[in-house]
Amino acid sequence: MCSNYSHRFPSSQRRGGAKRRGAQAGRDISPIRPPRRLRFAQRSFSSGFALTGSRFAPSSARRGIIIFGLVLLLWCTALTAFPSKIPTVLLPGPSPLVTFRILFMTGSAFDPPGKEGLAALTASMLAQGGTRSMSYDQIVQALYPMASSVNAQVDKEMTVFTGTTHIENLDHYYALLRDMLLDPGFRAEDFKRLRDDAINFLKVSLRESNDEELGKEELYNIIYAGHPYGHHNTGKISSLEKLTLADVRGFYRDYYKGTSLTIGLAGGYPKNFPDKVQTDFARLPQGSTDKRRFENPKLSPEMRIEIIARDTRSTAISLGFPISVNRGSKDWPALALVASYFGQHRSSNSYLYQRLREARGLNYGDYAYVEYFPRGMFQMTPDPNLARQQQIFQIWIRPVEAQNSLFALRAALYEYDKLLRDGLSQETFETTREFLTKYANILTQTQSAQLGYTLDSRYYGIPDYNSYVKEQLTKLTVGDVNAAIRRHLKSDRMRIVLITKDADRLRDAIVKNTPSPIVYNSPKPEEILDEDKIIQSYKINVKSEDVSVAQVNRVFE
Amino acid sequence: MRKLIALVCVSFLALSSAGQQKEGNLFPYNYAIDDLDNGLRLVTIPTDFPNMIGLYIVVQAGSRNEIEPGKSGYAHLFEHIMFRGSENYSPEERDRILKKAGAESNATTNADRTTYYETFSKEDLESVMKLEADRFQRLKYPESSYKTESLAVLGEYNKNSADPTEKLEEVLHETAFTAHTYRHTTMGFLKDIQDMPNQYDYSLQFYNRFYRPEHSTITLVGDVTHDHALALTKKYFGEWKSGNYRPDIPLEPAQKEPRQASVAWAAPTLPWIAVAFKGPAYSDEKKDKAALDLLSPMAFGSNSDLYQRLVLKEQKVDELEVAFGNHPDPELFTIWARIKDPKDIDYVRDQILATFERFTKETVDPGRLDATRSRIRYSFALRMNSSSAIANAVAQYIALRRTPETINKLFALYREISPEDIRAIARQYFTANNRTIVTLSNSKGAN
Repeated sequence: MCSNYSHRFPSSQRRGGAKRRGAQAGRDISPIRPPRRLRFAQRSFSSGFALTGSRFAPSSARRGIIIFGLVLLLWCTALTAFPSKIPTVLLPGPSPLVTFRILFMTGSAFDPPGKEGLAALTASMLAQGGTRSMSYDQIVQALYPMASSVNAQVDKEMTVFTGTTHIENLDHYYALLRDMLLDPGFRAEDFKRLRDDAINFLKVSLRESNDEELGKEELYNIIYAGHPYGHHNTGKISSLEKLTLADVRGFYRDYYKGTSLTIGLAGGYPKNFPDKVQTDFARLPQGSTDKRRFENPKLSPEMRIEIIARDTRSTAISLGFPISVNRGSKDWPALALVASYFGQHRSSNSYLYQRLREARGLNYGDYAYVEYFPRGMFQMTPDPNLARQQQIFQIWIRPVEAQNSLFALRAALYEYDKLLRDGLSQETFETTREFLTKYANILTQTQSAQLGYTLDSRYYGIPDYNSYVKEQLTKLTVGDVNAAIRRHLKSDRMRIVLITKDADRLRDAIVKNTPSPIVYNSPKPEEILDEDKIIQSYKINVKSEDVSVAQVNRVFE
Repeated sequence: MRKLIALVCVSFLALSSAGQQKEGNLFPYNYAIDDLDNGLRLVTIPTDFPNMIGLYIVVQAGSRNEIEPGKSGYAHLFEHIMFRGSENYSPEERDRILKKAGAESNATTNADRTTYYETFSKEDLESVMKLEADRFQRLKYPESSYKTESLAVLGEYNKNSADPTEKLEEVLHETAFTAHTYRHTTMGFLKDIQDMPNQYDYSLQFYNRFYRPEHSTITLVGDVTHDHALALTKKYFGEWKSGNYRPDIPLEPAQKEPRQASVAWAAPTLPWIAVAFKGPAYSDEKKDKAALDLLSPMAFGSNSDLYQRLVLKEQKVDELEVAFGNHPDPELFTIWARIKDPKDIDYVRDQILATFERFTKETVDPGRLDATRSRIRYSFALRMNSSSAIANAVAQYIALRRTPETINKLFALYREISPEDIRAIARQYFTANNRTIVTLSNSKGAN
């Protein structure tokens, strides 16, 4: 059970599928173990709750959204709005599987200062701990024949408990899930185990075994330093070491309320089942909802680079800066299109990948994002329910040979500057738009994904994801996209993280702007060689004092 | 063309009845199998997930087929090369077509197979089939792009190399196998990867050997009809020429002594231990593999006594997993454990060994055996949640037997296995002379 708890790498992924040796080898990794998703995915009526509005969508966008949502509601008969206070999103269907997404509007941004990790530890105590009447090992035994699990995912503002079970096991499974969330046991032995797990995840699994995820997470940490988003969702090691069971009880009492809850159900559940779930979860205290607004981080306007020294073969690179756009914003479709064109996740259909990997063989892949996408090295599509008010634009350069570190960083900056300067052509705009229009179907292939996206759409105040994306993309022009690039992606607040073994030498080369020519093992076209001459001396506009070297054992402390 | 089978299985909804499921098949979909004269097989699995199609082409060539010394990692390299252009499509054209289709496209390699897949909307089926047919029959890549791609493979090795379990796995196989190609991982040895740029001619040979219709199976799953799938397969893959190469995979001699190795890891880490026994090859007829499949979660899974003790009660271990894949040749039954305190390594090893020994002596509880069968059944049902997920689930069985029917046969075999079968088979395989233990810990004791 719960091997997929979000602060851990799923075991079959972590070892890249050691269970089937070598399965990780690939042009790109396919999911070794399919996500727990449901069938009968393509349902067009998975919307409607967008009408409840977003707290965070800009008002002009919201008006258009509301009109669109109203139209949708006219034919959206399968979605049931409950009169109760607990909002419920239902995607009924003929599948023999039933999926749950029990979503609380709380997360690591709600960790009290000095208690970073409390939200995640609380969630793990529910999903991987006992109830008052059953110990955790009894729960594991009970779930075993059903092959089902209860999983928790904690992000900054959302904590979601997910699970899927066969309809034959629904009553039994639901009784366990309900008690785990509503009647937790908070046992000392569970607390000790799960706190150790969290510390070891940060200290060993992330800090010392996975440079790519380390780099990406540290980028978020430095962009959001001093902000409620400014620590890993799992917490900080020094804070975790001080947390107590009383802290966990307190967090549960303060943040697990009916007013912060949305229930999501999908699949072939019985007609009266949602009523039952509603009634049970109405036991949670109502109280006032902690609706926090999180601001764009205040960052000084210059480039800053952090080089993390670690004894490792190659160099992992992540760069990015905060943007003022999220999925509820008017410009989000335009920026999502830019990210797809520039660096579609794990796809050779993207510009960066073609320039850095395909043309030059620098590494295994190069991607760009406008939304948080953790565990990207293990999965092809993002998990839902990671919705946030604040997002960053991010470029992920997968590990490069140490001698090419500076060249690769320069190449990324060169291409980023080129994107700002040239934008997209009409042709690249159209092909990317066509891709994204269809790709929405892949993102929401399964019932579980559809349910997750529907919950996220509700958060952002947009109609159901597929309809929204397709509608917005149809309206978009290349002019809109290039204007959005100028508006949102031109930043003087770039932050860069590199993880490498020879940190001091790399720092020296960066601050002195030392040329970094690249040597190839095969002839390259003239066009590439000419471009390389520019890249190898491409000026990195960073002041010496803004390039720091940190020892890896300081990260997540 | 001869049509072999058009099996009618129980409908998916029939799975919703436990009674029917007990007597029915584990794989719930109707499917059709067609064999072309050139040896290519087509498996068509229409589903009721609308609009989308998963196309999986499974080539029965993995790192197991890499028999020449110094040539580990070529099945995987070749998977990369397959994206480097073909006679009628440059890589850029290929990308353009797949982008237009909004497709998810990728490939994976393991010890026994290489799988190429696309997921896309049904209206793009023909353009994707045409595109795929070209690279499988008419791959064309210049030496310069071969060399560049070999660097991307090195990049892949690099991104994996931070993970100590990658190294542990490499050493485990190198220690457990002396002759068979399971001795090396699918990524291959670093020295062989570094030599890849110099082996362009060998890469061409690899393609000519294995990228042949008799080694390949096309699986189409989703919103597709059998007639349409067959017509397109004949149209675009019908002229594919069969080959005649049969790899001579070295047999692994019987192990005659317990083996062990240790890995000193430079970076801080918690210690790992892998305890492995040589296990049986995949079979849907002989009981050996199936019996140990059933035993593995009972002895080492999250509800096992060992897990409950080491992970939940004593909390000496934070990861305990069993790895026992399906392979055409005997491979390893491995327990992986990450140990929280280096001083407990020996204790944990002894507990794992005692558990193996226990099940050579005791019979498993019949109730627990039933619960395990139930778990397998529901676990499979829970995976069937999209056309691409179904195709992905079927791919490994296609690589082994070229038919989804083997899934049903295997599940039928599970039903026949008794606690006594499990004890007898455990006794046969879990012997000291069949064992390899590898530990990994920080060279300075840091964690």
